Amino acid sequence: MRFEEMKQALIRAAEQAGLKEYEIYYQMDESVSAETLKDEISSFSSSVGGGVNFRCIVDGKMGYASGELMTEEAMEELVSKAISNARCIDNDDEVFIFAGSPAYAKLPERKVELTDANTVRDLALQLQRDTYAQSEKVGDGTQSVALSSVVEIVLYNSNGLSLSNRAGISAAYAAPVCRDGEEAQENFEVGVGATYEELKDLPGKAVQGALDKFGATLVDSGKYDVVFDGSQFRSFLSAFSSAFSAKSAQLGLSRLAGKEGEVIAAPCVTVVDDPMREGSPMQTNFDGEGVATAKKNVIENGVLKTLLYDLTTAKKGGVESTGNAQRGYSSPVVIAPYNFGIQAGSDSREDLFAAIGNGIFINQCKGFHAGANSVTGDFSIESAGFMIRDGKRAEPIKSFTVAGNFFELLKQIDRLGNEIHWGIPGGFTVFGSPDVLVRNASIAGK
Amino acid sequence: MISRALTESVLTCAMSTGADFVELYGEITRNNAIAMVDGKIDRVSDNLVSGVGIRAFLGTRTVFASTSDMSREGLLKCAASVAAAMGELKKDVSVVLNERMFPNIHPAKVIPTSVDAKVRADLLRTACFAAKEYDEAISQVSGSLAGVDHTILVANTEGLYTTDRHVRTRIAVSSVASKDGETQSGSDAPGAGMGLEFFDIVDPAAVGREASRQAMVNLRASYCPAGTMMVAIENGFGGVIFHEACGHSLEATSVAIGASQMAGKLGQQIANPKVTAIDDGTIPGAWGSVNIDDEGTPTQRNVLIENGILKGYLIDRLGSRRMGMPMTGSGRRQSYTYEATSRMTNTFIANGPDKNEDIIASMENGLYCRKMGGGSVNPLTGAFNFSVTEGYLVKNGKICEPVRGASLIGTGSEILQNIDMVGQNLERAQGMCGSASGSVPTDVGQPLIRVSTITVGGR
Repeated sequence: MRFEEMKQALIRAAEQAGLKEYEIYYQMDESVSAETLKDEISSFSSSVGGGVNFRCIVDGKMGYASGELMTEEAMEELVSKAISNARCIDNDDEVFIFAGSPAYAKLPERKVELTDANTVRDLALQLQRDTYAQSEKVGDGTQSVALSSVVEIVLYNSNGLSLSNRAGISAAYAAPVCRDGEEAQENFEVGVGATYEELKDLPGKAVQGALDKFGATLVDSGKYDVVFDGSQFRSFLSAFSSAFSAKSAQLGLSRLAGKEGEVIAAPCVTVVDDPMREGSPMQTNFDGEGVATAKKNVIENGVLKTLLYDLTTAKKGGVESTGNAQRGYSSPVVIAPYNFGIQAGSDSREDLFAAIGNGIFINQCKGFHAGANSVTGDFSIESAGFMIRDGKRAEPIKSFTVAGNFFELLKQIDRLGNEIHWGIPGGFTVFGSPDVLVRNASIAGK
Repeated sequence: MISRALTESVLTCAMSTGADFVELYGEITRNNAIAMVDGKIDRVSDNLVSGVGIRAFLGTRTVFASTSDMSREGLLKCAASVAAAMGELKKDVSVVLNERMFPNIHPAKVIPTSVDAKVRADLLRTACFAAKEYDEAISQVSGSLAGVDHTILVANTEGLYTTDRHVRTRIAVSSVASKDGETQSGSDAPGAGMGLEFFDIVDPAAVGREASRQAMVNLRASYCPAGTMMVAIENGFGGVIFHEACGHSLEATSVAIGASQMAGKLGQQIANPKVTAIDDGTIPGAWGSVNIDDEGTPTQRNVLIENGILKGYLIDRLGSRRMGMPMTGSGRRQSYTYEATSRMTNTFIANGPDKNEDIIASMENGLYCRKMGGGSVNPLTGAFNFSVTEGYLVKNGKICEPVRGASLIGTGSEILQNIDMVGQNLERAQGMCGSASGSVPTDVGQPLIRVSTITVGGR
């Protein structure tokens, strides 16, 4: 069943059920990936798949149903399920099927296409060869992966809105396993790009990162000045991004509730949310409800300028939607950022090391899903990195935690690095941060 | 879902360019979810997942393709793409499938999707209202009730053609307590491989009260101190320590390629002799149980560690080929879009020799972790972390004041040796485990255990 047939089937079923306001959100994904082990492609995979989300307003309540089965019968079932689901809702917040924004920004010219299978295979193999060539210590378990994916989105509703977007990302990673005697270390470097030229630095960086970890020792528990690698600090933004959602705030689930216009971070901190960031592979000019998206400062010189809103929370808060309603076809609308990044400062990493003299450089943080509480802001995160002695990176350290509270951390940021490290997008959301210098962090080691 | 004749054609097509084995996994999954917040039903949604994944093997090389188009044309196109990626060889193959049924040891009495959403909403209301009424300091409660009705078809060129249906139900409540400018949270989320009859054995109001109880404890807790300590970890979700510190490192996914701290250690003493650990996918109605894994192998009870000695790994089909060892019913995947890999089912440390009261009494100074959150691990180095969601300091053998915001970190090989007391109140708890083949339901479990020394990430 093609999109047009599916849309007509849904419209027929919706009209038959007497629905006045309804919306169809269609998404189709296509992807390829190649994975290597030793000197060959161990696994090649491709997928084509997608689905449709139908939502409608019944007596002022919004009901949802979605599915991947594209038959006439399945479309009728979606409509009847969405209607019965709407009837169970007792939240009184006003809901909207949106008629459209006055104007939508023009997306920058970009090439959106799936990399062909052979190119993906060759790229993975080349990166794998390069990774092995970096050091004799690289051995079994080392993997390089190349992948490419494209997503197509169509939003259509009964109030005359019809929007579409196509976006895609190609990326690769090198994950060497290095051994020296009894000790094994690994590392992981990922980059965005479809060609070897864009990604050729990955193997060198990945292997050097693994080799640097050998001989790591434990650090004494205590308070230290720390420099976070931006590629790790962005995970804090990700873990606590729900605090910036107006829905969380309105429900009392965010410590940023009622703080718009107030100082919530150090003066050097400016956080921008940009749905059309130049260079970002995933860009959109409309959100999951069809509202035009726009770039905005969320934090400006330490002051919280705005939370992130969809139509319902904006109405409740007496403001305009910021165009941050996001959705996949299988789930209801949620509020989330786009390219959400702390703006760079002026210091090189070396400058930051010099600025703290003695302390810790943290370049590995994990376990945010468990160790970070988005409601309270508390975190305790497994980390690894290096001692900083006399303003220079010194010996590697491992198995320690950094603990604190995100909302206090924002205020403790002292200086920022001069380069933003962006992550790999999940949907249209991606986080970025420069290196960050924080004073007096709690470290638990030995 | 897909007829035997069509499945034969699809497998034949995918096999035609030199693969030595091809499997087809088809899926129709009905997910439904109800969410409540602020005393009101906020979201009700249904989602139907349907599609097919086809995987071909040539030795230990695999080619995989998936599609949500389950028409004859869509399936054959998917099979042809697998064949094209496998090679250019032309081979005459004929695939004959024999249908078989495996016993259903996890029957569901009340399929969630067959029950009016209003009835399900009432169960959730009961839980959330009980949470709100627990204490006047409870400022916000959110909750969800989710049902999954999962039907799979597994067929392969060894002649297998079988289907299985599996139903799961889970309720989750999260409470926030606020007082004097302080805000803390607590949660509980039990589930089972059962239909709505799950609520014959689990009282939704008790789930809500448990979430609020934890939030209230944390409200009067101070920050946990940092450093290395002796720690006692309670039963139920405490078992996440084994799941992270050891379980993932026993999966063929990392063992078979030499990327696990546990590779090559079969028969060796890797844990304290008091530790026996089991992965058992056959426990009737358990959250992590299934009749057959997603490769069509019946699940089984796998003894992983017996009295501290490593006895076995968790092995899927690809792992079996790489390692030259039999499959253990451990091939699992979130959906048809993922290739199955070796995963845990219900994994737990068995009861040990120590009395629970002796464990606490033996601790001069330390931390008692009553409730744990999730965690993660690097299977190569064994470095793991998990969070403490309800903890208390122990002084002179007595449980004292609550502390919050801590996580525990360590290395699997060290921690397994440091588990030096194992109690006798084994209980399991439910989680979603994320790994290469997506998010799958797993149980973790253990009795109360003592860890002689571990790094506590406090401040």
